[in-house]
Amino acid sequence: MQLTKRVPGELRLGLMAAACALLVQPAQSQEAVTLASDDEKPLQVDAGVLYYKESAGRIQSYDAIVTLRKDFGDEHILGLNGAYDSLSGGSPTGAVPTKAAQTFATPSGTSLKATNGAPVTYTTSSGRKVAQLETVTVYTVSTGALPLDTGFHDQRVAGDLSWSQPFEQNNHVALGGHLSHEQDFQSISGNASFSRDFNAKNTTLGLSGNAEFDKVSPVGGVPVFGSDYTQLLKGGDRNKQVTGGQLGLTQVLARNWITQLNLSYDSSSGYLTDPYKIVSVINTLGVATGYRYESRPESRSRRSIYLGNKVALGRTVLDISLRHGTDDWGSSNDTVDARYRIPLLGDDLYIEPHLRYYQQTAADFYSLFVSSAAAIPTYLSADPRLAAFSAKTVGFKVGMKLDQDNEVSVRIEAYKQDAKVHSSTLAGLSGLDLNPSLQSFICQLNWRFNY
Amino acid sequence: MAGDLAVSMRAAQLCAATFTAMSCPCEVLIETADAQAARRLGAVAAAEAWRIEAKFSRYRPDSIISRINASGGQPMLLDDESASLLDFAARCHELSGGAFDVTSGVLRKAWRFDGSGKVPDQVTVDALLQRVGFGRLSWNPPHISLPQGMELDFGGIGKEYAVDRALALVAMQCDVAVLVNFGGDMATNHAPATGPWSVGVERPDTDREARLLLDFAAGGMATSGDTHRYIEVDGVRYGHILDVKTGFPVVGAPRSVTVAAGSCVEAGLMATLAMLQGVRAENFLVEQGAQHWCLR
Amino acid sequence: MNCRLIRIAVCGLALASLAGCASVGIKPWERDILARPEMALDANPIDTAFDEHIYFSKEAASGGRGFGGGGCGCN
Repeated sequence: MQLTKRVPGELRLGLMAAACALLVQPAQSQEAVTLASDDEKPLQVDAGVLYYKESAGRIQSYDAIVTLRKDFGDEHILGLNGAYDSLSGGSPTGAVPTKAAQTFATPSGTSLKATNGAPVTYTTSSGRKVAQLETVTVYTVSTGALPLDTGFHDQRVAGDLSWSQPFEQNNHVALGGHLSHEQDFQSISGNASFSRDFNAKNTTLGLSGNAEFDKVSPVGGVPVFGSDYTQLLKGGDRNKQVTGGQLGLTQVLARNWITQLNLSYDSSSGYLTDPYKIVSVINTLGVATGYRYESRPESRSRRSIYLGNKVALGRTVLDISLRHGTDDWGSSNDTVDARYRIPLLGDDLYIEPHLRYYQQTAADFYSLFVSSAAAIPTYLSADPRLAAFSAKTVGFKVGMKLDQDNEVSVRIEAYKQDAKVHSSTLAGLSGLDLNPSLQSFICQLNWRFNY
Repeated sequence: MAGDLAVSMRAAQLCAATFTAMSCPCEVLIETADAQAARRLGAVAAAEAWRIEAKFSRYRPDSIISRINASGGQPMLLDDESASLLDFAARCHELSGGAFDVTSGVLRKAWRFDGSGKVPDQVTVDALLQRVGFGRLSWNPPHISLPQGMELDFGGIGKEYAVDRALALVAMQCDVAVLVNFGGDMATNHAPATGPWSVGVERPDTDREARLLLDFAAGGMATSGDTHRYIEVDGVRYGHILDVKTGFPVVGAPRSVTVAAGSCVEAGLMATLAMLQGVRAENFLVEQGAQHWCLR
Repeated sequence: MNCRLIRIAVCGLALASLAGCASVGIKPWERDILARPEMALDANPIDTAFDEHIYFSKEAASGGRGFGGGGCGCN
C-alpha cells in the first residue's frame, strides 16, 4: 500500500510548518511544572555614552544614560533611568554677522568682571534694583562672524521612574515620573498610559497623557520681552507648563511587519522665550543699530502624526518612520527616518546604516533681524531653531553580541542643518552668511547586559 | 517520578535502553556496543519523557494541564513550552476544520472503550458537547482561560512530542544512529550503518504478531489504531476516536493507520486526522501525499 | 425579485468586509519573527533617548513616537 507519488497536500504542508514551529522551541530544562506567571526576570541594564560636537567652535557635550529595567514576573515592570549631560561651547545668540565687529555683554556667563572692571547696576522700569546682575562679561565678535555666546556651559542631571503592569486580561497600565535639574532650569513631569489588546493581540490601542512643570531661572535674570539689549533684566524665575496627550494604534500587518500610528497633541503655556537669545536691529543700510531681547507668545500648541514600521526582510530589519507636525506658531515639519539592520556572521554581529531627513517652516514671528525703520513687533525671535531649514542625518552603527544578553554597539552619525534664508541684499549685510549651516557629529557607545 | 532504566544488548552494535513512561513501554535503540554510553543516553531520553509526562499529563494533579483544568475560567499565564504546544493544538484545530480538538476529552465520560456493549444516550452526549470546542476557550498567548467545565488534554500530541524532544536531546550528545520508540510512536536521527531500521506494525486482530515490516531511515513514524479500545454493538464497531461534532465515535475508520513523516509529531497528527476521516482515511492520506500504511 | 437580489448582494458585501477586518493580523504560532528583539518597536531605547534629546534641542519639532525629549532647558 505504500505510495510512490507524494506531493504534500495543503493540510499536510500546514501541519509540517506547525510541527516545525513546535519543535524548534529550545529544549526545556529538566525541572518540571512551572507556570511562567511567577517568573522574575533578571535586571536588564542599558548604558550609553555620547560625545556630541558641532563644528566651528559651537556646542560640544558629553552625555551618559543608564536605564535599568526589572520584570518582577507577569509583566510587572519597573524602569529607572538616569542621565547626565555636560555642555560647553558657543551657542548662536540670534544676532546676525555684520561687516563691523560687534560687542556684546553675556548674561549667561558666571560672575566674571566686566572688561573695564566696574560692576554695573541696573534699575528696572519700575525702579527696582536688579540683585542678580553683579557684573557682565563683554566680548567682541569679529567682522562677518556669527555671534556666539561662548561662555555657555551647563550640566544637567535627570532621572525618571516608571511602572507598568497588565490589568485584567488584555490591558496594560503604566505610570511614570521625570525630574531634571540644570543650573537655570528645573523640570518635573508625570505621565500615565493605558492600552488594550484586541484581535488576538494583533491590534493595540493606547491612550496616554503627560503633564510637565518647568521653572526657568536665567543666569543674570529674566529679560523684559522685546526690550533693548542694553536695558534689560529683572530677577526672579518664570514658569512653564506642558500638557500632552497621545492616541496610539499598533497593528500587526503580517508575520514580518508591525506598524504604529500615533496622534499627538501638546499645549505649552507660560515662559516659552529663550532668555539668552537676542535679535539684531538693522537699519536700511544694513548696519546694526542695536539689539532686542527676543520675545515669544506665552502659549503654543503642537500636533503631530507619526507612522512607524518594522519590517523583517529575511534576517534583516527595516525600521522606517514618517512624522508630520504642525504648530500654532506657524512652523510645520516633516521627518523621514530609516534604519536598516543587517546581520553579519550569523547573529553575533550586525551593522545598521541610518538616514534621516527633516524639514521645517519658520515660525510666524521668526526673522533674521528686525528693521530699525519699522515698529518692533510684539513677538520676535531670530533663534535659528525657529527658522525654515532642512536637515540631514547620515549614521552608521555596528553592534556585537558577546553572549545571549550581552551586547555592545558603536554609533557614529553626522548631522547638517541648512537654513532656507541666510542672506540679505542690504548693502551692509550683502555677501555675508547670516545663518550659517550647523554641522555636528556624534559618537556613541552602548552596552546592554543582564545583571 | 523517576523509574527504572534497563539496558540490554540487542545485537553486536546495538544497545537498547528500556523504561516505562506515559503508561507505555518505551525504548531507545542506540547503535553502539558500549552499554555504559547507552545507559547514559537512555537516561537522557527517559528523563525527558518523565519530565513531559509530569508537566502535561492530565492524570497528574500538579501538571499544568490539571492546573488549567482546575482554573475555573480564571486566566492563566503559560510558560513558553506549554504555549507552543497550545499554539500547535490551535493550528491543528484550524487545519482540520475543527475535527482535531484538545478539548474533546470530556466526551470520554460518556464512552468507556472496554469492549463492553454500552452506548450512551443522546441526552448525555449532548450535555457533554456543551463543554467541548476549542473555539470556546480564550487563547491570547501567553494567557489562556478555559471556561468552567471544559478540559484540556494533550494526550493526542504529548507522546509524539516527547519522542521528538527525547530524540533531539539524545542526538545532541552522539553521532551514532538512535531510534526513540515510545509505545509505537517513534523517531530516528538516521539509519545505522548496516541499513535502515526495521519496524513491525501489529495487525490489530492477531495478538502482537507483526505483520507489516517497514523500513525506517529518518524522521518520525506514528500509528493510530483501535487495537484494544472499541465498543461493539449489534455488529457495529465503535472505535475510540470521537467526532467532536456528533460526540459519537467515527464510523468506518481503519483499524490502524501508520504514517511516516518528517517528525513524530507530524506523523502522529496525520495518522489521527486520517482516523477522523473514517471511510475516507486512505483517500485523505493519498490527497495529502503522506507515506502511510492502513490496516482494515 | 430585484429587491431581493440587491439585499443579498449588500449582505454579502458586509460579510466580506467583516471577514477582511478579522483577517488583519497573524496567528499566535506565527509570531516567531515579531518575537525577535530587533523587531521591537523601540529596539534601541538608548539611541532613541539620545536622538530625541539632540533633535529636541536643535529643531522646532519633538515627540511623535512618544513624549520625546522634553524636560530640558535647551529649547
